[in-house]
Amino acid sequence: MSRSWSRTSVAIAGATAALAVLTACGGGDPAAAGDGGHVTITYWGWAKGTKQTVDAFNATHDDITVKYEEIPSGGAGGYAKIANAVKAGNAPDLVSIEYPSLPEFVSQGSLQDITQYVTDDLKKQLLPQAVELTTLGGKNWAVPFDAAPQTYYYRKDFFTQHKIEVPKTWDEFRTAAAAVKKADPKARIGTFFPDDPTTFEAMVWQAGARWFATEGDAWKVDTTDPATKKVTAYWQGLLDDGLVNSATSFSPAWTGALKSGDTVGYLGASWGAGALKGLVPDQSGKWAAAPMPTWDGKPAGGMLGGSTWAVTKDSHQAAAAVKFATWMSTSPDAIKARLSSGDSSAYPAAAALRPVAKKAFDTGFYGGQDLYGLFDGAAAAIKRDWAWGPTGGTTNTTLKDAFGKAADGNGTLADAVRSAQDATVRELRKRGLKVAGQ
Amino acid sequence: MTDRTTAGPATAAPADGTDRPGDRAAATPAGTPGTAPVQRAPRGTVRAAARPSRSRWLSKAAVNGTLVLAVLYTLFPLVWLVTAATKDAGGLLAGNAFSFEGFDLGGNLSRLASYNDGVYFRWYANSLLYAGGGALLSALVSVAAGYAFDTYEFPGKERLFGVVLLGVLVPTTALALPLYLLAAKTGLVNTYWSVLIPVLAHPFGVYLARVFSAGYVPGEAIEAARMDGAGELRIFWSIGLRMLMPGFVTIFLFQFTAIWNNFFLPLVMLSDQRLFPLSLGLYAWNSNTHAEPSYYPLVVTGSLLAVIPLVIAFVALQRHWKAGLAAGSVK
Amino acid sequence: MSPKARAVTVLLTPFFVLFTVVMVVPIGYALWLSLFTEQQSGLGFGGTQTVFTGLGNYLTALGDHAFRDGFLVLIGYCALYIPLLLAGGLALALLLDSALARARRFFQLALFLPHAVPGIIAALIWVYLYTPQLSPVIGALKSGGLDFSFLSPGGALPAVVNIALWEWLGYNMVIFYAALQAIDRSVIEAATVDGAGAWRIATGIKIPLIRSSVVMVALFTVIGSLQLFTEPLIINQASSAALTSSWTPNMYAYAAAFTRNDYGLAAAASVLLALAAAVLSFAITRLSQRTPRSRTKGRTA
Repeated sequence: MSRSWSRTSVAIAGATAALAVLTACGGGDPAAAGDGGHVTITYWGWAKGTKQTVDAFNATHDDITVKYEEIPSGGAGGYAKIANAVKAGNAPDLVSIEYPSLPEFVSQGSLQDITQYVTDDLKKQLLPQAVELTTLGGKNWAVPFDAAPQTYYYRKDFFTQHKIEVPKTWDEFRTAAAAVKKADPKARIGTFFPDDPTTFEAMVWQAGARWFATEGDAWKVDTTDPATKKVTAYWQGLLDDGLVNSATSFSPAWTGALKSGDTVGYLGASWGAGALKGLVPDQSGKWAAAPMPTWDGKPAGGMLGGSTWAVTKDSHQAAAAVKFATWMSTSPDAIKARLSSGDSSAYPAAAALRPVAKKAFDTGFYGGQDLYGLFDGAAAAIKRDWAWGPTGGTTNTTLKDAFGKAADGNGTLADAVRSAQDATVRELRKRGLKVAGQ
Repeated sequence: MTDRTTAGPATAAPADGTDRPGDRAAATPAGTPGTAPVQRAPRGTVRAAARPSRSRWLSKAAVNGTLVLAVLYTLFPLVWLVTAATKDAGGLLAGNAFSFEGFDLGGNLSRLASYNDGVYFRWYANSLLYAGGGALLSALVSVAAGYAFDTYEFPGKERLFGVVLLGVLVPTTALALPLYLLAAKTGLVNTYWSVLIPVLAHPFGVYLARVFSAGYVPGEAIEAARMDGAGELRIFWSIGLRMLMPGFVTIFLFQFTAIWNNFFLPLVMLSDQRLFPLSLGLYAWNSNTHAEPSYYPLVVTGSLLAVIPLVIAFVALQRHWKAGLAAGSVK
Repeated sequence: MSPKARAVTVLLTPFFVLFTVVMVVPIGYALWLSLFTEQQSGLGFGGTQTVFTGLGNYLTALGDHAFRDGFLVLIGYCALYIPLLLAGGLALALLLDSALARARRFFQLALFLPHAVPGIIAALIWVYLYTPQLSPVIGALKSGGLDFSFLSPGGALPAVVNIALWEWLGYNMVIFYAALQAIDRSVIEAATVDGAGAWRIATGIKIPLIRSSVVMVALFTVIGSLQLFTEPLIINQASSAALTSSWTPNMYAYAAAFTRNDYGLAAAASVLLALAAAVLSFAITRLSQRTPRSRTKGRTA
């Protein structure tokens, strides 16, 4: 196992080096869109505030007009729509894709290589981890919009009242979980989301696992490495001992438990700050945020969600689409327009936009805490070796189905992770891809 | 070739002779289809005389009590929908289902109307277009075919009708994916047509139309028109279709309901929100509720408004759906 | 061509053209697609190409326990749902048909009304009513000592069955009621005169007389169950613990097409589903033998 480990690192290092060379020589000018003529591009997305962003762009740009269509969010059918539209040949020019799904779209041949438009200058403005996650096989496939560093939210009033320390490590988290339960037998420190494998994946990412790696021209899938096992056993223990709730993320069941105070914490990400505020507005001032607990007490993190913009295969307006995407990701006007639609605590991948976002988000709900300062630290601590695989749909669906059973005592999380491994390898093989070391 | 009009008088009831709408219609072609419980009094009096009144009163209470319980079961989710539609997001998630806590019906309605430039009412219009237009064309096509099956004899007729019956049995959702794959190939995917065309073929409508035609359109009428020298198609158009009108309405109603409630087909076919019918739009909003609880009242209030047209149709057209189900009961 | 033959052609053509386009051709196209699969090379970042795979997709589907389990779910669903639907529908129809019932029009309408609610909305409503924090029902059951979770693996089947029952109970009750109404009254009056009680008349005379309606409803419900999709989909969204994303064969086919982007597999699953429907349809036509053909021939009176 250690042999392939080191080999994987070499492969990744190689890929990164190749990327550096490629982008140094490449580099086009996104401004060369449409040879001076007026172009219209279509764009599909679902995030709140997108319409306002597009309106702002159209109001200030004469050379490009963006037509926006709202589609259901990715996992709720949006991705299916995009994939189908590409197959049917009526896809929009630009689409929203979250990081974990990007490799699958690339491997389906749904997207266009936009390396020539993603300039060094652009990359320098963005969080390096976000750029790495959008670079596959040495080419750039998307413009990152936000990063989503993991963050822990907790009911400060409850913790203070019962003199519970805010956990810094996972050991302390378990202790605190027991203390919460002891203080109020109905209350729990947090929730395991069986429907949301990406939360779990962020945890194993944080612990140092690397599920997907490449070895030459073969994929290496390893969801049963020591780091994953550690995280799996830990959460299994919390579930077995009844120290955390289990509920579908953002379901009425989960929000109901937050409202009633039966759940006093939320293991989420930067964007969760705005969501939480919208869910339980009457608990304003009672919440606070903290860095995600870590295994050794040193800052470390994974990413949970986050969006990118990608250009579809058949678009003839790639330059204009990237220009618009770049504007959305890097222009203060764009982020202002986006945040005008309501509370969002998105953490932009572009450093220059963070002060704007920070200013726009009222942290009164968190007692005026400096959330963006917290996010800055968490974003910097996002581990850099993680990559998503080309079978995101299969891997996550299998995990989701098996987690659902495990959360209800039907099988274990370890079983779930193993079944995901099997399903992933099977799917890769079925597609004719090579799988290393299996 | 022998027509049914020459095969004998059209007094026979459709199907197995027990079908009520046919019976009645054969006697009075323009009569109302459907059941008429009112005519049943004599039986009750016979039994009443045979039993002591106290026990009869108890049985009566038991019978009607059970029916009331069943009605509570069918109606309480609808009552919940009405009360829930008046609540804001907070009141909805607070759980006191039947209270009027957080009453904000006006706010919900205005948010529904204004969200995304009023896209909800665009979905409403789309649903009316798909269901209204689709049901109208489909009923016409079905009635034409059912009338032809009933009125004429031609080689291979029953074999062909067997094909129609087989079509009744094919689950439509098993067809939706193949239809989608086909539409994707032909570029029809994500257009109005992709949802409208597949609902036009309605084998059960053809079956119903044949049954109704046997009941409503007396052979004598057709024969008389032929004597007057009217062409066959003219007879269908000006006599057959007119006499079949109650059946036409029934078929229209069932198809309207089926299209209005259709979810799987638009789900696979459409990606452009402006083409969505209500069912798909509400589904899209419901998937957004997870990240944005402010969608909850939109979904609930939107659902309530989406149910209203069919409730009105079913209340107003009782005899028609009863007639359809009665005809279906002997298939 | 005689005028009548021309009329037949004109009247039947629209239907059969549509029938061919939306029922026959798609099945044929699905059959064709099901023979191919998409292959990639290298790390897969170079796109896909289509290759012939013979029955490969069928073997994949049938070899996938998720797909096979879907049929087991359907069997379990039918085993629970159909007896409840028939017993409930018959009981209500008989009650309504008894001389003691009042306000028959109202009862028929009120019981039938859920049919006016689109399946997706019915599912949404019931998922709320299944959610402990939101539901007045769960709370009431709990205080009555009944702690049942619909949104759990054990509760998923009852949860789906209940939604289906709610939507279809009144509908089928009206069918049974219509059939009961068509019974020749003299038969029943004769039995009453002979001293038969209401129960005896119901079970000994009425139900046997409407047997064909009962059989047809049962068999059509079986066919309909092959379509099971919307209700479990909404429950899956509310709680993935309750049921998986490929709980029914239809959900499997949908996921194959839209989550895994595997059109060949989706086509194969659809074909297998249609095949199952065809087999059941065949069983139905065999069992019933009551096509209108018998009517045409028997009409001599």
